[in-house]
Amino acid sequence: MNAVSQLKESPGTAGAARQEIISAEHIGKTFGGSVVALEDINFTVQQGDFISLIGPSGCGKSTLLRLVAGLLPASGGKLNVMGSPMTKPRPEIGMMFQKPTLLAWKSVMDNVLLPKTLAGGATRKDREKAIELLHLVGLEGFEYSFPNQLSGGMQQRVALARLLNTGAEILLLDEPFGALDEFTRERLNVELLRIQREVKATILFVTHNIQEAVFLADKVFVMTPRPGRLEEIVDVPLARPREMEITKSDEFNRRVFEIRDVLGAAT
Amino acid sequence: MSATEIPLENSAGRTTTSGIPYWAQHLLVFVIFMTIWEMSVRFEWVSALILPSPFDVVAAWWDLAIVRGLIWSHFAVTLTEVVVGFAIGAGFGVTIAVLSALSETFRRLVQPYMVALQVTPRIAIAPIIVAWLGFGMEPKMAIAAIICFFPIFINSLTGLMQVDSESLEMFHSMRASKWKIFRHLQLPGAMPVIMAGFKTGISLALIGAIVGEFVSASEGLGVLIQRFSFQLLLPQAFACLIMLTVMGLILYGTATFADRRIVFWQHEDLVNRISRRMRAKNADLLGKGPAV
Ligand SMILES: Nc1ncnc2c1ncn2[C@@H]1O[C@H](COP(=O)(O)OP(=O)(O)OP(=O)(O)O)[C@@H](O)[C@H]1O
Ligand SMILES: [Mg+2]
Repeated sequence: MNAVSQLKESPGTAGAARQEIISAEHIGKTFGGSVVALEDINFTVQQGDFISLIGPSGCGKSTLLRLVAGLLPASGGKLNVMGSPMTKPRPEIGMMFQKPTLLAWKSVMDNVLLPKTLAGGATRKDREKAIELLHLVGLEGFEYSFPNQLSGGMQQRVALARLLNTGAEILLLDEPFGALDEFTRERLNVELLRIQREVKATILFVTHNIQEAVFLADKVFVMTPRPGRLEEIVDVPLARPREMEITKSDEFNRRVFEIRDVLGAAT
Repeated sequence: MSATEIPLENSAGRTTTSGIPYWAQHLLVFVIFMTIWEMSVRFEWVSALILPSPFDVVAAWWDLAIVRGLIWSHFAVTLTEVVVGFAIGAGFGVTIAVLSALSETFRRLVQPYMVALQVTPRIAIAPIIVAWLGFGMEPKMAIAAIICFFPIFINSLTGLMQVDSESLEMFHSMRASKWKIFRHLQLPGAMPVIMAGFKTGISLALIGAIVGEFVSASEGLGVLIQRFSFQLLLPQAFACLIMLTVMGLILYGTATFADRRIVFWQHEDLVNRISRRMRAKNADLLGKGPAV
């Protein structure tokens, strides 16, 4: 095995110093010349970090994610991903939304294969990989079901498998479980952490739920609206792997109250 | 999707709370209706010259269709006009809709003509088309095409333009080309609305062909109806009308069948079947996954 393929297959090798993967300096975003959605945003994200973004509606969380995804250009400032400025969508970055955005006319399998189909066509190997991913997200037995046959939670699992199949190292999730019931959401959160450990991805996760934000994250970015600002970054040094049990600990709840204070003070 | 569609309920085999099956209810209503019609002519509540009795109509149909068998060639002529006209109208409608959906410039440039076409009573163009194309089947095909073009164009464009913005962003984040977005998102997503346009269009194509035949023709069911009516042979005219109803049902039924096949994901029974078939076909692939 040569050095290049080794590098490609193990991006987050244990022992290696963790690298800065995203850096934002003084980013702003203005819509239509007057709506200031984001102002002077500064942060860095290390490889393998799980970042939660939280803040009231309209504070620019989705906008920030779209900037990082390369779907929108920033109005000012510097945004570097893996050392080079963001200009357009890149293969290292994948995105997922509150709606599963599955294609109703494609089977679960073909939905998961979409990134490969768009890249030129799915091979037998791709199909086997897709089946593995469907196992990873807990959907074995549903490979050839259609989206309409699945529950909302299962549809989001398909969307997650599709996202993982893009091969992206940076995953941007915009309230991915926001439309699901509490039980389903908790279960998916635990599974998301397990999956992240397995695929070693860097994740930016938008949520409206403080508990969820703290439970998942290494760092919580707390944002405030009008104009959208990154008010505070709260570290969550709780041990991993995490189970729902930790939500009862003082350590956990201190973070929750801290964030609530920041959000409360801003409104 | 389309306002002109009658929701046809599949009521076969079901029973009501009263215990009388739906088909029996339908049969009963039909028999009562026919009886009243027959009696109103028999007892001369209306003149048989104005309204032929059902019995006379069936007799006339038997004579035209079975004894002399002359109705079938006219049936074939009209059907050909409708099918070819529909194919041309649908071809243009979908093509121009696709170009409009892909290019904003094109959409802007064709829009005034589409509006003009929408507000003009398109049937009025029939005599002009006949003047251009003569007395054969071609002018009828052209009229059928022009009349069914518009709803197909509008439906197709509406369907193609109503892309879900988050799905579009998902495709963009996967760096999909415009063509791939069209092929994998826009077009399949538009199919339900396009097919609804086809269903409206096929009925309109039939109207177009008949109007063309009325203007001038030597063959076709429209011609027969006109001729029989002029000669006050109303049972024969009604027999031809019934053939047109049958043709309409065949055309609409075909469109509905195609709709179900193409937009299969909106029909639970079809999805279940296709899903099962795919699972069986890929059994070897599924067996290869890690055992859980
Ligand atoms: N394409 C756009 N054009 C104009 N204004 C926009 C656009 N997208 C977002 N905005 C504005 O930018 C601000 C931030 O929007 P954004 O969607 O990022 O908020 P959010 O934090 O994701 O909110 P929510 O929690 O409700 O999803 C809002 O005031 C919104 O109206
Ligand atoms: Mg949002």
